[in-house]
Amino acid sequence: MAKSPKQTTPASWLWGSLTSIRFTVFLLLILAAVAVIGTVVPQDQPPGQYVMRYGEGLGGFIYNWDLDRIYYSPWFLGPVVLLALNILACVIKGLPQAIRRCLTPFAAEAALTLPERGKFTWPAGVDPQSRIHTLLREELGGQARQETLGDQELYLVERGRWRPLGPYLVHLAILLILAGGLIGKFWGIEGDLPLHQGEVAQNFRVGGSQQPLNFQLRLDKFQVEFYEKGGIPKEFRSDLTFLKDGREMGRAVCRVNDPVTFDGLTFYQSSYGTQPEGPVRLKVSHGDQSQTLELTMRQKVDLPGGEAQAMLVRVDGNLQGYGPAAQVAFRGGAGHPEIFWVFKDHPELGEQPPPYRFTAEAIPFSYFSVFQVKSDPGVWWVYAGFILVFPGLYLAFFRPAARWAVVLEKAPKGGFKVRLLGASPRNREEFAAALEQLLAGFKKGTPS
Amino acid sequence: MISQILGAVMLVYLGVAILFLAAEMWSSSRLQNTARWLLWVGLGAHTAALLGRWAGSYQLAALSTPPAAFTDILSLVIIQAPLSNFYESLVFFAWTLPALGLFAFRRYFKGYLGALVSTLACLLLAYASFGGVDSRIKPLMPALKSNWLLIHVVTAFLGYAAFALAFGTAILYLVQERRPRPSLPPPAQLDRLIYRATVLGFLLLTLGILTGAVWAETAWGRYWSWDPKETWSLITWLIYATMLHARLLKGWQGRRIAWLAVLGFLAVMFTYFGVSFLLSGLHSYLT
Repeated sequence: MAKSPKQTTPASWLWGSLTSIRFTVFLLLILAAVAVIGTVVPQDQPPGQYVMRYGEGLGGFIYNWDLDRIYYSPWFLGPVVLLALNILACVIKGLPQAIRRCLTPFAAEAALTLPERGKFTWPAGVDPQSRIHTLLREELGGQARQETLGDQELYLVERGRWRPLGPYLVHLAILLILAGGLIGKFWGIEGDLPLHQGEVAQNFRVGGSQQPLNFQLRLDKFQVEFYEKGGIPKEFRSDLTFLKDGREMGRAVCRVNDPVTFDGLTFYQSSYGTQPEGPVRLKVSHGDQSQTLELTMRQKVDLPGGEAQAMLVRVDGNLQGYGPAAQVAFRGGAGHPEIFWVFKDHPELGEQPPPYRFTAEAIPFSYFSVFQVKSDPGVWWVYAGFILVFPGLYLAFFRPAARWAVVLEKAPKGGFKVRLLGASPRNREEFAAALEQLLAGFKKGTPS
Repeated sequence: MISQILGAVMLVYLGVAILFLAAEMWSSSRLQNTARWLLWVGLGAHTAALLGRWAGSYQLAALSTPPAAFTDILSLVIIQAPLSNFYESLVFFAWTLPALGLFAFRRYFKGYLGALVSTLACLLLAYASFGGVDSRIKPLMPALKSNWLLIHVVTAFLGYAAFALAFGTAILYLVQERRPRPSLPPPAQLDRLIYRATVLGFLLLTLGILTGAVWAETAWGRYWSWDPKETWSLITWLIYATMLHARLLKGWQGRRIAWLAVLGFLAVMFTYFGVSFLLSGLHSYLT
């Protein structure tokens, strides 16, 4: 007999593709592949970096085709949107049925459609009801429900009744997380704020521009504490005061792992920076001449002899664990400018341009605080998703559905006919083990 | 002292692997039991070493910030769990393999599978001891001082261990399929074991990723930053998600599932080693 061709309208074809597992697997693998590219190609670098690293052709390609911001490009967002649609379609398609199945009690009619696993004849002398109850309780746990259908008595046990909801909870959770991400993208704001001790902030930086705060933020005190001198930092903390129109509204201490929220904005102690406090004094030796120079940021200074110039570019309070250091740009005659570090406590470190020799006499500096500033209404959606995932995974993988029924009938010649029915489509291993035990139990005392 | 214990544990795991192999070759249940017993001894010593290191880093931290109240002591204990650098992660990863094998997969943890996983644990400890990995106890940087550290690292590495078991089983499956041996478990059983270990690993990896996200949100104000380790753990998660879908909805079994378990474990290994050495990011303090 020839198969009748299925009617396929474009809409049903689209729906079919959208809900197909093949599509899901395809998208998951595409996403994995794009993410691999994103970890191999450094992200968010200035365009020059790509040309330098990969050459004109490939570097330009990476930059022009957005491979440098791959997680925000259509390469990634496209499949993510399709995956979200795919998940949504699958949820719409299957969830009502799953709910219906969970809400429908396991009844006699459904039980009789289960495959038969064993058939026994018990002699008239036994008490079949209590025996069936005992066997089912011992092997499956819990009390069997009893129903009567005509002259048949049924004993029903259902395990993992809520299992069908599991996968849908997981997928709804993923949709919540994606929605949270989207909400954060559109209605959230994220920036940073460098702040010096004593300074009052009115704005913070978002991308390249300034975003006004609805209040003022004063950094009363900033402390960086080290385990040992020149070692790794132990803690950095900012003592903050929130002000509105000059009036104090609240005080808080912001630490790493301990953010502070005020008026809908959350401040995270994300890092800290170093700034010079006054001129850096460097001793410059050239042959047997030596002279002490005072350098301020970005001011060119002529070196002794007048043939070269130096400029202070940056100071660091603890460069690579070697203590305070000043970064100096140097240009000798018509040569290329060079850049190097001068360490205060480690004069032997750092390559310096010959024939000059720089040693630091004083590098006065202080630390300033750097905050990540954020408001993200999507976080609660994301967290709701995180919480929903676990009951979903638990139901889906650890509460396998199984249905058992024992059908008891009076045999025409006295005694009882007992049939054992049951199925557990996704958990055959455990089912088979339980079945073996049950069959052995039911067989005991059977005349053979 | 602790490094000597770990050296001994490494030798014990090697011995266990040899005994498991020998037990398989001579199909001796007595050797099988001896190997299992020795593995318990090794795991006990390994646990003692971990606890010793935990006490050591607690004492070091307590010297610089003496805790006053009971809650301070408790939170310092949690924060100072020995899971904060590459060396400690190697030692803990080596611990999770026999621990998970003995507790969650007791029935199957013997013979070739036992030998394979013990060898892996032995190699991890050998790398920690002789691979030039810095084993000093170092004070914690501020970002790591969080109650999330313990649960994040423990779930992630237990997940890795479950995937390692799935990988070992998959290798056995592929060998068994090519050259069947009656002494090995039948392929159908191996197939189910791959699935069960993967499900456990998937649950734990999900926990690891999500606790990491919550932690990142409190530390940096971002639950996801596309840091290479985050991204690779997501890639790993996607591979295993694919595998579970293929199995549960498409009925994939056997060889294809085994190959996916191998692929997934390669991704796990890259997430752990590759990212630490080849790519830099927020997790690079591990090295």
